[in-house]
Amino acid sequence: MKAKIYSVLLLLAVLLPGCEPEDNVEALPFVAGFERESYKYSDDAPQEITLVFSKPAEAAGTIQLKVTPDQSVYGVDFSTTPEAVDNLIALDFTVGQSRVSFTYHNLMLPYDDADLVKKVQFEVVRVDYAGFSNIQGYTLTQMTFSASLGAILVSEVGGPNQGNQVFVDLSEEMTTESRRDIWDLGFYGGDHFRVTINGSIYMAARNLNVTDIDAVTPASVSGFQSQVAVGTFDPENENYIDAPNGNILETAIDEISANDEDNKVYLVNLGYKVGNTIPPAGSVAITGDARGWKKIRILREGEGYRLQYANLNSTTHQEISIPKDAAYNFTFFSFDTNQPVLVEPEKAKWDLCFTVFTNVIAGAGSYGYSDFVLNNLRAGVKVYRVNVSEPTVTFANFTKANVNDALLQDDQRVIGADWRDVFSGTAYADRFYVLKDIDGNYYKIRMLGFLSEGGERGYPKFEYKLLP
Amino acid sequence: MHSSLRHFFNRFAPTAPVCAGVRPSTKHYSLFILLTISGAHAQNDTIRKAKPLDEVVITGQYSKQSVDKSVYQVKVISRADIDRQAGNNLADLLNQQLNINIIPSASSGKSSVRLFGLDAQYFKILIDNIPVINDEGLGNNTDLTQINLDDVQQIEIVEGSMGVEYGANAISGIINIITKKSGKSKWEITPFIQEETVGDEYSLMKRGRHIQSLKIGHNINSRLYANAMVTTNYFKGFLDDRQGKDHLYNDGQRGYRWLPKDQVNAKAFLGYNLDNHAFFYKFEFFDESTDFYSQNVQENPQPQTGTIHPVTFDDNTFISTRYFHHFNATGKFSFMDYDISTSFQQQERNVETFKYRIGERQKYDVEKTEYESREGFHSRGNFSNFLKNETIDFQVGYEISEITGHLSYLTGVLFDGSLEKRLGSYDAFASTEINFTKRFSLRPGARVMFSSQFDTQAALSLSSRYDLGKGYQLRAVVGTAPRIPNYEELYTYFVDVNHDSQGNPNLKPEQGTSVSLFLNKTFASQSGALFRTSLNGFFLDVRDRIEQITYTNDEGKLAFTFDNIDLFRTYGGTLTTGFQYRNWSGNAGVTVSGTSKVLDILSASEQADDYLVAMQYNANLSHTLAKTGTIFSAYLKYTGPQYQFIQVPSTGEIVKGRQNEFTWLDASIMQPFLNRTLELTIGARNLLDITQVNTSTDGGGTHTAASSSVMLGYGRSYFMKLRYRLNF
Repeated sequence: MKAKIYSVLLLLAVLLPGCEPEDNVEALPFVAGFERESYKYSDDAPQEITLVFSKPAEAAGTIQLKVTPDQSVYGVDFSTTPEAVDNLIALDFTVGQSRVSFTYHNLMLPYDDADLVKKVQFEVVRVDYAGFSNIQGYTLTQMTFSASLGAILVSEVGGPNQGNQVFVDLSEEMTTESRRDIWDLGFYGGDHFRVTINGSIYMAARNLNVTDIDAVTPASVSGFQSQVAVGTFDPENENYIDAPNGNILETAIDEISANDEDNKVYLVNLGYKVGNTIPPAGSVAITGDARGWKKIRILREGEGYRLQYANLNSTTHQEISIPKDAAYNFTFFSFDTNQPVLVEPEKAKWDLCFTVFTNVIAGAGSYGYSDFVLNNLRAGVKVYRVNVSEPTVTFANFTKANVNDALLQDDQRVIGADWRDVFSGTAYADRFYVLKDIDGNYYKIRMLGFLSEGGERGYPKFEYKLLP
Repeated sequence: MHSSLRHFFNRFAPTAPVCAGVRPSTKHYSLFILLTISGAHAQNDTIRKAKPLDEVVITGQYSKQSVDKSVYQVKVISRADIDRQAGNNLADLLNQQLNINIIPSASSGKSSVRLFGLDAQYFKILIDNIPVINDEGLGNNTDLTQINLDDVQQIEIVEGSMGVEYGANAISGIINIITKKSGKSKWEITPFIQEETVGDEYSLMKRGRHIQSLKIGHNINSRLYANAMVTTNYFKGFLDDRQGKDHLYNDGQRGYRWLPKDQVNAKAFLGYNLDNHAFFYKFEFFDESTDFYSQNVQENPQPQTGTIHPVTFDDNTFISTRYFHHFNATGKFSFMDYDISTSFQQQERNVETFKYRIGERQKYDVEKTEYESREGFHSRGNFSNFLKNETIDFQVGYEISEITGHLSYLTGVLFDGSLEKRLGSYDAFASTEINFTKRFSLRPGARVMFSSQFDTQAALSLSSRYDLGKGYQLRAVVGTAPRIPNYEELYTYFVDVNHDSQGNPNLKPEQGTSVSLFLNKTFASQSGALFRTSLNGFFLDVRDRIEQITYTNDEGKLAFTFDNIDLFRTYGGTLTTGFQYRNWSGNAGVTVSGTSKVLDILSASEQADDYLVAMQYNANLSHTLAKTGTIFSAYLKYTGPQYQFIQVPSTGEIVKGRQNEFTWLDASIMQPFLNRTLELTIGARNLLDITQVNTSTDGGGTHTAASSSVMLGYGRSYFMKLRYRLNF
């Protein structure tokens, strides 16, 4: 009997699993690359130039940079700390370090027009590192007076509530944030007399076909209120929002006429405040409380506008004059403060806007979108999409020679929401975009993602490069 | 009196065939002798002789009864069947049953049952006559992979509504798992190991399926018996074309096709037998962790270094834990027999969500949250044999339960927050069995169900058995049962600017009714061949079916909720035959059914009022070599094309979706060694290598049903089981 037991135990021991090696994982190289591809040296402050590592250094090492002045001279026009020796700068790093930097000093002050052609280029030429390393990524950076060569930006739309509209000026590498519920109406500064409603908070407006604003009562509009809203899945509601393509001639509110009798009273749904709940990671909480309703009527006043507005139950109304300002797409007005409010930068100073947006779904009417990206169509910024087709068409190998102007769209939604897959939480890698700004610069743009390190929505990240 | 005593003893006898075999004509067996003898027979039976066709069942009986005498048609899966298929859990086994479909979810790791086209909400799973809890219900929605079979004596299946016997939600049928409650030796120690491939994937640690078990039984004295067992079942997942958890790219290849899961099951039993009374306590602890690795990888390209920094945000591990305490007292007084079970049960599903830096293999932001749970108390008592009369007997009983359910937003039912709901059910039932003649018996029954939440419900049943003579027997069974609305239907809340989807707390229970007619014929030839054939016609109807509906809400928006609007109906017929001849035995059956689902009965649309026909057949064959004791077995089941009505989302048009046919074929060889103490089983599951089957039954395109595939299996797999029995 005992022998039997032992034999079984022995068998079990043989069959029971031993140790197995872990599955192989592809190793990622150690890389040091420039944080930015270009710096504009228009001011005198010393500029810190940083190289970021692909991962914290597991061993000490040295990076060698080659300095290539272009129509400029080391020691005359610029210098560096640490100093270059034979046009080489050596940067040491130790274990655990994840970036390294040096300082650039501009010596051409005050500069004149002759200085504007001067450039300096730095290039990673050698990495001494004990582990697996490679030279790739942003291996070059340039000091220049001209437009940005490109950058990687995260638009601060404000996390999962997406409380901000973010305006991006590509050539200046500059972003401007504005909370999206601080304005209600935008008065067009261009040739037409047009007024936009705030689609980023899901506003809607309906022509009441009357001219006496004080005669409009809650009872007279109650029949319309269920329709004058976003997301009712009724295709009719497209009439109550501005055309999402950005065509200024298709706003919810008709052209403001010189003839006052043509200017009707509108019922305005003020949409929703910015949400303030914290949704599960990966989701958004766009809408907060409903903001209520107004009745408005807009007239021309010389080369500007006159706005009449009141609450629905009011038998009197307030009025305010709003002049046109040609430097801006719109002059914005807030019912909360009864004042004009600054939202967008001047129209020549932004190319892209990251915002919540009221779009339409064919057959289902208006629908609220998060993570939307608009191009500044009203100022003339146009975009088209390029589909990646390995290996011939890629973001990396796309050059100015590949640009086709005929493909630029008359639509502000080319990037729109089609750049991201909300279900997987990733940006599509199979597409990128070509943008032409109003100065005639061409950029290629690719979206990199929209989640934070913690997996929260509302951190759209993108890369763009000037096509020289 | 003696007959009831015998039933009482039989209840605790280890295997069914044996009890039938030793049906005592002598009336003075002591418990101990009975157990000893029956145990000895059990072993011989499964190995030497073919299984007798006459089986003894518990389900739906006043006391243990032979299959022949039962007023219900009870299908039995014997221990021998389980062993030949190396079935470790219910999902391993039910694939081969007629009318039953197993619906595995490759993404959640769960497997649930579908019977007569109705899902697991309509089907009840019991262990020793009481519903067993899981994180989504009591007896319903059971994950079959979580029901371990290592201590099981036999499995009984009854198709049709069993509301009187087993209460709400027993509409399409029930499975009653009867566990072993005695041992024949003073000590019985049974370790086994089982190694399986998962498709063609296998390695000692990281791939395949690995089961280890140890069971110890001990007769402490002639009245007290105890056993304990522990089984671990490590299923390492099925990769197929996936690359596992450390894949770096967002190319859809990360993760598994079939989720890896590890299970630990520990059970203990203590039984105490007096002459006329018996008591037991049964305990079970179950723990499972299922790993979900998201297909979505955030590559996090960092253009500065031209590298990616892949992380995942949706990985999680589901951890399910079940505790089960069952107290039972069975016995007889001079004025009645009784059988009372009380249980405390709890199953919790927690989820550990985490983010993962793939390159660094580093988990971060690890959070553990309750996902869903049920816990509570259940008690059931049956009282019978009041009249001591051969002609008429009646049974009265009660069944009460208090179940608290907990649901978090992670289940997707709620937008945020969590929900706790308590449901009390208080049922009373009664039935009477009248044996008008030896040939004809009738059993009418009724149950009334009070509940803390719903209107009082009723279930009715009428069963009859008529012996036509010459081996022919006729049975008719009519039963009803309600289905209680589930949490999703009652409590869904998902409302924002674009959406309005809400549950309906005013839903009524659905009402199921089934009618079955059976004609059975037993035939014994002079050469010793034995056949039993059964022809069955059935009808099942569910009224007030709950479906999601759309309407326009106060704000003029399209909104979703649930209502009792639809009707579901199945007709069908089944022909089965079992035979036994010398060392051969087998079964074969075919079933054809037509299902009609009237969608939106309120608008009286005839669009889907058309029968969807489905066909299944199965066959199994087993042969024992007398010399060596080797048993060869093969099991085959064909499931014909399955149709389903689906609505094309864009047009609202109703079209017929089709899921292609498939066949399961399993085979095994079982060989005893060392005077039958060591037993080796080798076999193959899914010999026809089924993985995915094309279907157009889920969702749709513009004018046609969308075509996709559903994962049913992980391909041809091989197993080896080695079991040792040490009895002294």
